[in-house]
Amino acid sequence: MRRRYLPLLALLLLLLPACGQRAKPRGVIGVSVLTLTNPFFKVIADKFTEEAKKNGFEVIVVSGEFDVAKQQNQVKDFIVKGVDAIVLCPCDSQAIAPVIQEANHEGIPVFTADTACMDKRAKVVCHIATDNYGGGKQAAMAMIEALGPAGGKIAILDYAQAESCIFRVQGFEEVIAVHNKEGKGRITIARKLPGDGQKDKGYKAAEDALQAVPDLVGIFAINDPSALGARAALEKAGRQDQVVIIGFDGQPDGKQAIKEGKIYADPIQFPDKIGVNTMRAILRYFDGEHLPPTDPIATDLYRRADALKDPELR
Amino acid sequence: MARLSQPTWLAALLSENGMLLALLLLIGVVSAATYGEQQPTGDAAARQLAPKLKDSRVLIVVRDNARDALHAEQMERTFAELGVSVAGVVKAQPPAARDAIAQLAKDGLSFDAYVVNRPASAWTIYARLGEEQASLRDLPVHAPESYYWPSFLRADNLINVANQVAIIAIMAIGMTMVIIVGGIDLSVGSLIALAAVITTRLIRDVAGAEEADTLGMIFCSIAGIGVCGLVGLFSGAMVTGFGMPAFIVTLGVMLAASGAAYLFADGQSIHQIPETFIWLGREADLFRIPNAVVLMVVLYLLAHVLMSRTVLGRYIYAVGGNIKAAWYSGIPVRRVILSVYVMSGLLAGLGGVIMASQLKSGSPTYGQMYELFVIAAVVVGGTSLSGGRGKVFGTLIGVLIIGVIQNGMNLVGLTSYTQKVVLGGVILVAVLIDCLRRKPNAINA
Repeated sequence: MRRRYLPLLALLLLLLPACGQRAKPRGVIGVSVLTLTNPFFKVIADKFTEEAKKNGFEVIVVSGEFDVAKQQNQVKDFIVKGVDAIVLCPCDSQAIAPVIQEANHEGIPVFTADTACMDKRAKVVCHIATDNYGGGKQAAMAMIEALGPAGGKIAILDYAQAESCIFRVQGFEEVIAVHNKEGKGRITIARKLPGDGQKDKGYKAAEDALQAVPDLVGIFAINDPSALGARAALEKAGRQDQVVIIGFDGQPDGKQAIKEGKIYADPIQFPDKIGVNTMRAILRYFDGEHLPPTDPIATDLYRRADALKDPELR
Repeated sequence: MARLSQPTWLAALLSENGMLLALLLLIGVVSAATYGEQQPTGDAAARQLAPKLKDSRVLIVVRDNARDALHAEQMERTFAELGVSVAGVVKAQPPAARDAIAQLAKDGLSFDAYVVNRPASAWTIYARLGEEQASLRDLPVHAPESYYWPSFLRADNLINVANQVAIIAIMAIGMTMVIIVGGIDLSVGSLIALAAVITTRLIRDVAGAEEADTLGMIFCSIAGIGVCGLVGLFSGAMVTGFGMPAFIVTLGVMLAASGAAYLFADGQSIHQIPETFIWLGREADLFRIPNAVVLMVVLYLLAHVLMSRTVLGRYIYAVGGNIKAAWYSGIPVRRVILSVYVMSGLLAGLGGVIMASQLKSGSPTYGQMYELFVIAAVVVGGTSLSGGRGKVFGTLIGVLIIGVIQNGMNLVGLTSYTQKVVLGGVILVAVLIDCLRRKPNAINA
């Protein structure tokens, strides 16, 4: 009878080598990201780990895979393990709050990267994320640059459910307003349509914008998928030469489109900087520094000239 | 059951103990795997450090939480007994601690060593303070030497494991019954979301959001659980009334319930509920044991009595063992199957309410894949997928096996991908055991 359990035992024994002796680290940091299937979060986690190792910290990286209950259990396990700090990319900005409060109660500092926790009762030492407002301003500058002295009517494909995207549009509109006061090359925001940050929705919204505004000359899409969707709509309508697109993010396919001239420019995000700065924030905290509640990571405008030099693109 | 021949019966008994054996072995393995540094606290830490610190004045630095405060207090007392003078105690997070120590030094407090606990030993404020103030330059930092003990076996972790498995364990009771009658219920994961969303939405919209009183919250929870019971009734009716395969019926219900949860919640998570709602999921009234765990234990005792001491229990086994024979002997087969699906729905609804309570919000994304964990736990616990055989306590062991594996893997720090592979392997092995176990039976028959 016992023999029947041999496979099970063998499997369990396989777990043993995973926990061999390690050199004694200075401390342990638990990281739970939204998902590891999106390269953005993978880069955050990898760069964070690299920086932590350099400073003698051990890092445990797990992924909530969009399931906040799972992420909650992961954080609870971190607390039991007695980690020195916890880094989260929350799966749910609200529902993650109770377990952050548990960590607060235990005196374990919590840092968030990319996505913030919206519940003010949960205390987060520092939130490290892209400066979306500044990125929106850069997008507007790219639009002004692309349209030149002629100006014209443009459309925004937004995503009003995500706070980050609201900031992007806000920054964009402010710079356009300032530009219009100067009087040269006036740019009118003729339509603001929901692109939902998705390719198919971006496609539909851009089609509607093209119908509604026959003399449309520009589109600002709040991320790369919706920008690529808009591009598809332009190509279908045969108006790709009359309308310029500004995207956001700098995902590989977005960069590729910039190289091919399909998107004029992107303010690009730097997940690697988010990862490194998160670890540096922890080190500064352990140094006893008073950190600001947010650490915005500036975006950079990425144009065709940058894409042509980019070794990562083929 | 009585018809089974002696050796097979003996084998079945052995294999039930076998599962317990597997659990114990697993606990051993996980304990070995998480065997590592633990820090002595309080009294023990002070006794350990005192010889090194004879005749010196120390400043104790710990984090700002209840446990660390207790630790500092005990150290202070023990140091006083052992003749180590304590200049002061700083209980704060790093930035505040740095400010506080700098202030103390400016006020003329002198000491010649820091005594810190392990978490505070990871801080670098001491070197910074030394750079700023001459009196604090190059002061030694003493942390207690660690000792070795499995972090899995720490009391707070064991409670943690119990708390984590409570929801799956409660749902698994219903699933055990469903599988014993020869069915399956794939909808339980979605029912978690449905119950959580209905309950929290009712609390928000009807019972008065953050100002809801206890009675209101209880009614809302009952409504959420009740709806899931009705959904279970529907599944059961489809299976018994039209002879539809349970797999397909509950697959459809799974999709429909998940969609309904998204509709009720407008795709958002609902968090406008009172602070007291967390009582069920996160508080511990009885000897530090979480309320959800107490509820789980009570439900298991009730289910055990139901399955082993009542007529309905016998009927459930009889229907699962041989539905035709049960029919001929006058057992109300349809009603038995119906009641089992209703129970599964109710228990899944209860699981949803507990999850909403743990997370203090309801969201349609809850419970994804839970049906698979629950089914896995039931199968690992020795319930036969072909029906007619199984024990609720076996299921509890199955739940614990899966919970311990998950917790152990988290503590050891395996990635989520490796965890999936291991869990899949465990489930396959459990089904393999089920098949091997059935074989002698088939030959005997």
